[in-house]
Amino acid sequence: MKRLDIRARMVLAALLPLALIGTMFAVWMLMSRFDDLQTAYEQRNRLVARQVGLASEFGLFSGNQTQLQALAVGALQDSDVRWVAIIDARGHLLASAGNQQLAPRTDFQPVASAGTLPNQTVDWIRQPVFSSQTTLDDLFDGAAATTSVRRSTLGQITLSFSRQTLNDRKLNLLLGGGLIGALALLFGLALALFLSRSVSRPVARISHLVELIGRGEFGHVQSLRAQLEPTDPLYSLQERIHQMADQLQRAQDDLQQQVALATQQLRQKKEEAEAANLAKTRFLVAASHDLRQPTHALGLFVSRLAQLPHDAQTSQLIDHLQMSVLALQNLLDGLLDISRLEARSVQAKEGPFSVASLFGQLTQDVKDAAASKGLALRIHPTSAWALSDATLVYRILLNLVNNAVRYTQQGRVLVVARLRPSRRQVQVQVWDTGIGIAPEHQQAVFGEFYQVANAARDRTKGMGLGLSIVRRTADLLRLQVQLKSRLGVGTCVTLTLPWVEAPFATSSHGTADEVIGAELGGVNVLVIEDDALVRQALASVLQGWDMQVAQASGLKQARQHLARGFVPQVIISDYQLEEGANGVQSIKALRSDLQTDIPACLISGDTQPYLDQQARQAGLSLLQKPVRPAKLRSLLRRLVS
Amino acid sequence: MLRWLRHLCTGCCLGLALAVAAQPTPTQVVIVSSEASASYTQVNTVLIDALTRAGVPKAAVVLLSPSELAQRTKEGQLGLTRVFVAVGARATQAVLAADPSAPVLSTLIPRQSFAQLLQSSGRKTSARLSALYLDQPLRRQISLIQLALPQARQVGVLLGADSVGKLPELSALAQDRGMTLQHAKVNGEQPLFQALSVALDGSDVLLALADSNVFNSTSIQNILLSSFRARIPMVAFSSAYTRAGAVLSLYSSPVQMGVQTADLVLGAWRSGRVPERSVEPDDFLVDVNANVARALGLALDGAALRLALRRLESRP
Repeated sequence: MKRLDIRARMVLAALLPLALIGTMFAVWMLMSRFDDLQTAYEQRNRLVARQVGLASEFGLFSGNQTQLQALAVGALQDSDVRWVAIIDARGHLLASAGNQQLAPRTDFQPVASAGTLPNQTVDWIRQPVFSSQTTLDDLFDGAAATTSVRRSTLGQITLSFSRQTLNDRKLNLLLGGGLIGALALLFGLALALFLSRSVSRPVARISHLVELIGRGEFGHVQSLRAQLEPTDPLYSLQERIHQMADQLQRAQDDLQQQVALATQQLRQKKEEAEAANLAKTRFLVAASHDLRQPTHALGLFVSRLAQLPHDAQTSQLIDHLQMSVLALQNLLDGLLDISRLEARSVQAKEGPFSVASLFGQLTQDVKDAAASKGLALRIHPTSAWALSDATLVYRILLNLVNNAVRYTQQGRVLVVARLRPSRRQVQVQVWDTGIGIAPEHQQAVFGEFYQVANAARDRTKGMGLGLSIVRRTADLLRLQVQLKSRLGVGTCVTLTLPWVEAPFATSSHGTADEVIGAELGGVNVLVIEDDALVRQALASVLQGWDMQVAQASGLKQARQHLARGFVPQVIISDYQLEEGANGVQSIKALRSDLQTDIPACLISGDTQPYLDQQARQAGLSLLQKPVRPAKLRSLLRRLVS
Repeated sequence: MLRWLRHLCTGCCLGLALAVAAQPTPTQVVIVSSEASASYTQVNTVLIDALTRAGVPKAAVVLLSPSELAQRTKEGQLGLTRVFVAVGARATQAVLAADPSAPVLSTLIPRQSFAQLLQSSGRKTSARLSALYLDQPLRRQISLIQLALPQARQVGVLLGADSVGKLPELSALAQDRGMTLQHAKVNGEQPLFQALSVALDGSDVLLALADSNVFNSTSIQNILLSSFRARIPMVAFSSAYTRAGAVLSLYSSPVQMGVQTADLVLGAWRSGRVPERSVEPDDFLVDVNANVARALGLALDGAALRLALRRLESRP
């Protein structure tokens, strides 16, 4: 059903009862009036018939046809009478008048009867005429009781009555009633419309008002309030809605203010947090850079010291010193990696690489640490190739194996690569029989500086950066790292790499250390380092390897060495040099001076991403401070060869 | 009020009769009344009063209804009755049915009714069975016409089955008085109006005779209307007809009948005989419908006419 608006409903509510009651009343009145008319019509007919009957009694008694005919004609003067017939007791027609076509049968019947002609518009009455009874209270009548005196029938009158007048009056009544009813309904409709308008308009206004409030257009609501008149039927309601709107507006304003305040506070907090994070990153970068120089020098000095002959006690002290320096350097490497990852200065260079080459380097780097703890390090050989950044993957593996060695007191550390061609994956797993990680800590261990059982911060156990670097590096390379561990039993970390077919021509990529290289003894090396302490430490280490070292604080001194006839076979330069020069430019200049492409490497304490790129473009190896002497030696051998 | 009095009187009479029956005095007069209507009650009362005044012991007079009479007869309680008085036709019929040994006087009975009862019972009028007729003698009626309407020369008469026997006497009487009789016979097959038209044709007066075949409650209205329209006065035989529209009526009142009956009963009581021939009423009344008389242009005085008639009959 179509939904009616409020005005239509009000009109309907006003009109329906009116129409219903009016119609019922009109019908009842009409029926009543029709009934009255019908009754009056019938009564009048009977009366006319009785009068004619009475009047015709003597005519019938005396057989006076003239009188009867006059009577019949006279009866026609009565309204509705259309036909009159008078017959005597023997059925002889004595008189008749009127329209013959409206005449019923005039057979003599001893009893009165009435009916309607087939055309339904003419009623007839047939009535016998008796002699009048006169009471004779005399003794002769009593004496004649034995003689039955029959009431004699003199004859019969028959009259036809037309319903025309009756029907006309009924029709008039019906038309009149209908007209009055229609007028009443129209009047009611007009009144209902008039009254409903006075209610529906305010309701429409309220609806509009609520709609505006819903849309939050409080200014428009305020303007409507000015138009409100106290004579309005719903003035009070509208006034309250306006009050409500005011309250709502105030509440909204308050809310907006609070939100703005909170947003501002949040922004402030965010900025503070970002500032703090930036400060942390800066601190890390700065700290790692500033720490790197002396640590680099320290490592080199200790390495040089170890090269010298000592007694047994001193040698033990130097071993301890080397271990401490190594721990310090590892810590700095971790901080460096984290700071580089945070600074987003690490860019992945994906390419196919041999997993076996990584494993070889890993064996070189870790076997000493494992052996020193009496652990069996087993690295299963593999022929698999993977597609990723070999350097970063190596860092992940190095961190994982270092962790395994660090947290395993006895037993073994196993590194294995499993090929899953169906999934085109290589899974590299690092197993250990160490202390294990409780399930509740297995997620947290990937956070920075998180260590499960190192509340005392024993630095020999690292700083808790290893797994954090693993996670960040893996995320950078979009690799999957899974950790499975049982407390007290051991841990297995799985690194899943994309597998590729082995290419025909294998390239060294400079990562493997297959080429042991030539001996360094007697090799001329030019060290360019602006920091005197570091330069001296580096020179002493190189000299320990029987190399001929020329030291320069910058390009100028280096050229002086060349001018004095020193021909370097390899150049080691710091990146940042004095007076704003850098190592790349210096090496390029020296190569240009000597007109030979002298092997050279860069050593830097910076973590800026462009540095790596510059070194690669210049075809230089880049070593991050602090440089482990073994690594430096390995690089120099390769360069010299 | 009248009805109450009537019931009271009837009650008294019945009480008296019971008292008489209860006493050892032998019942000597038994009055049997056809009904307890006003006229009959009046006749009975006047009769009993007159008998009592004449010395008949009250206890010796018993008033019975026809059914009570049959009961008493069956029980044999009426053996010592000296006179039976039957008031009305039904009572006469009941008394004749009881076949009493004592003389019977029937009173307040139309002549024709008594004749029919005699005929049906196979009896004749005698010193043991006689009647006082309700009908006025024809002579008196003709005399009244002559007195009241001296111009009347032709008398119209409607004759029915019960009255056709009076035609010869009536014709003779009219002829004696210098009048002619215009009579018409009414039978059941012919419309009454035809006979009435004949009777009224040329008549100066319409004489109504007691015949229920002609004059009855249903016909009287139209007969009176016809005569009135013909401006012919009607002389009837009962005061009811005067009230209905007849100009004159000649009749005997219940009191007059009671008094005359009492005389006849006393005679029988004393002599043990009733008149051998039936008797006609001595006294009478003449009623005039003044309205109709005035409408017909007649000036009539009922009392004067009665006196004139009585003088004519040499009565005081």
